[in-house]
Amino acid sequence: MDKDPAILLIDDEPQILRALKTILAANHFRVTSAVTGEQGIAMAVAQPPDLIILDLTLPDMDGIAVAESIREWSQVPIIVLSVRDSEKDKVAALDRGADDYLTKPFGIEELLARIRVALRHSEKTLGNKGSLIKAGTVIVDLARHLVTLRGEEIRLTATEFKLLAYLAAHADRVLTHQAILTQVWGFEDYDHVEYLRVYIGQLRKKLEQNPDEPQILLTEPGVGYRFKASE
Amino acid sequence: MRILPNLIQNKFLNLLLRFLAAILTIAALTFLMQAFKPELANQVIVLIYLLPVMLSTVLWGLGPGILAAFLAFLTFNYFYLEPLHTLQVHANQDLILLTIFLIVAVVLAQLIGQARQGERLARSREWEATRMYELISALARLQDVQSVAQVLADQTRETFDCTQVEVTTLEKKDEASAAARSIESAVAIGEPSSRVRLDTAREHEGELCLWLSGGQLSREEQRLLSAFTSQGALAIERIRLARGEKRSRLLEESDKLKSSLLNSVSHELRTPLSAIKASVSSLRSQTVDWNAPERNELLATIEEETDHLNLLVGNLLDMSRIESGALKPHRTWNAMSEIVWGVARKMRSQLQEHHLVIELPADLPLVPTDYVMMEQVFTNLLSNSIKYARMGTRIEITAAADDGGLHTQVANQSPQVPEEHLEAIFEKFHRITEADKVTGTGLGLSICKGIIEAHGGRIWATNEPDRFVFHFTLPLTLDGALPDSPREIENG
Repeated sequence: MDKDPAILLIDDEPQILRALKTILAANHFRVTSAVTGEQGIAMAVAQPPDLIILDLTLPDMDGIAVAESIREWSQVPIIVLSVRDSEKDKVAALDRGADDYLTKPFGIEELLARIRVALRHSEKTLGNKGSLIKAGTVIVDLARHLVTLRGEEIRLTATEFKLLAYLAAHADRVLTHQAILTQVWGFEDYDHVEYLRVYIGQLRKKLEQNPDEPQILLTEPGVGYRFKASE
Repeated sequence: MRILPNLIQNKFLNLLLRFLAAILTIAALTFLMQAFKPELANQVIVLIYLLPVMLSTVLWGLGPGILAAFLAFLTFNYFYLEPLHTLQVHANQDLILLTIFLIVAVVLAQLIGQARQGERLARSREWEATRMYELISALARLQDVQSVAQVLADQTRETFDCTQVEVTTLEKKDEASAAARSIESAVAIGEPSSRVRLDTAREHEGELCLWLSGGQLSREEQRLLSAFTSQGALAIERIRLARGEKRSRLLEESDKLKSSLLNSVSHELRTPLSAIKASVSSLRSQTVDWNAPERNELLATIEEETDHLNLLVGNLLDMSRIESGALKPHRTWNAMSEIVWGVARKMRSQLQEHHLVIELPADLPLVPTDYVMMEQVFTNLLSNSIKYARMGTRIEITAAADDGGLHTQVANQSPQVPEEHLEAIFEKFHRITEADKVTGTGLGLSICKGIIEAHGGRIWATNEPDRFVFHFTLPLTLDGALPDSPREIENG
């Protein structure tokens, strides 16, 4: 991209705005900010940013409603930044439009990494979606339905492959249990978290070097899973 | 007082009947004596006339006795002394006889009457004492003002001759007023016959109203009634004082807890804040030119201490959720190994000085838990182990499924905890060591207990040779069901 990516901050706390503006500008992002939900939506319409960082506690409306509203007409990546740390809030935000979720206080490296992932992802959805996803020594070939570990084919059951393919296709994004279950098994199985525990366990045994300390199929506590692809 | 409960109620009629009885006795004797008149000397007859006097006094009281004495005196004079059938006396001898008879009869009547009254008084005192005893023992058991009012009303109505009794107690600063009513048959209409205040030496507690069946209360009855009401007032006061004492004890305890929390929290918050402040102000300072490793060290301190502060705030929040009952685990099927290894990874830097061993069987069943809360349990148990166990010692996590559910153990090699503290360590702010020696809010283990119990499980600790072990169990069913076996999907 020839221009620095534009980030819209929607947060009503001046300390956070002050810190984030400084840090993001130093990291070569163009930053604009809004302090209410209304203002945020208006600014997103007027000057569509490349990414939105959204607080859930806003003076005029709930942040999740802001995400929902923006999602109606835009695919711009939304990263939620909130002090609310309950899994319920995380799942609600992710299921209703947010792409990622970070709890305050957060490490800035973590936020920058999430921003990079979200931006890369949105580029992919715009066109050049790759069918080969790499994670360490594992390669998932979505087009050919093939998974290799250090070049050797790994035999997966149909369910295992469908699950891995879904996670890999959305690499580096948090996928909620419900989203995964609905996509892989179907709507009627949306609350069978136990299926995930079993199949993720099987996939880790086949793909991870140490299944107890996974590097590829990461657990997002209480929320879901994330496929960690290599940069 | 219903000393003779079957006696006719109307006192006047009662009195009249008794006098009538005395008159009849004399009349009957006089009639009877006419038959033996010729054979008996006057001296004997006089003695015989003492009998009805005595009888009347014994049976009907002093008044009828005296009446009988006078009647006997007149009758004897009329029928037996010359001139007969007049009330005149001629012989000096007869006059003396008659005078002595009157004196003897009246004195006799009086003596007997006094003895009888004394006996009656004693009996009524005994009865009063019994009623008092009954009231006092009934009141002694009671723990609330309402039942005191009810018992007082009931007992008063049973004891005194009344149709209805009402007891109302006053509203005190933190005690609602109470009202109780005891009725014989129907609710009385109109003003009560008598109102008595319920007073103790210190306070005015309320009022007792009674509706009498008829007439007035005698002096003894009034005395007994005031004894009743003061017993009632004392019982109410006792309850209020006891309640006040309990409340002040509770307040004192919660005060102690609060100040212990504030002490602990302010100490805990200030420590990381001081470190952060010191590091940041050093970095901003113009006078020193920090080199890279030094700067990194200061920055690392800031980051670590910030995390520490965040953890602390989280703990306080969790504790208040547990206390208020707002902690509702979102239970889903989880693999214990995923949780344990996740925590081990997150705590890697804190665990550097210890040797963590995780031994979980591969076939461990899924367990319905709130993932994040279970992470917290392991985090707190591990933090506790790190804090109390010497560097370089082993910390072991094991788990097994048995009849009681999933039994997990976190064992460390910290010093043994005295048996009497084994349960108390799970209470908040409980520490066996002095607060300053080990950091922490004293909340960690109580949060574990809150979480495990919210899951329907149990947590405890044991001393074992060379080890100190935390145990907890978790049920293996969710709403009574085991996990569904995963559905394999069709290829396509």
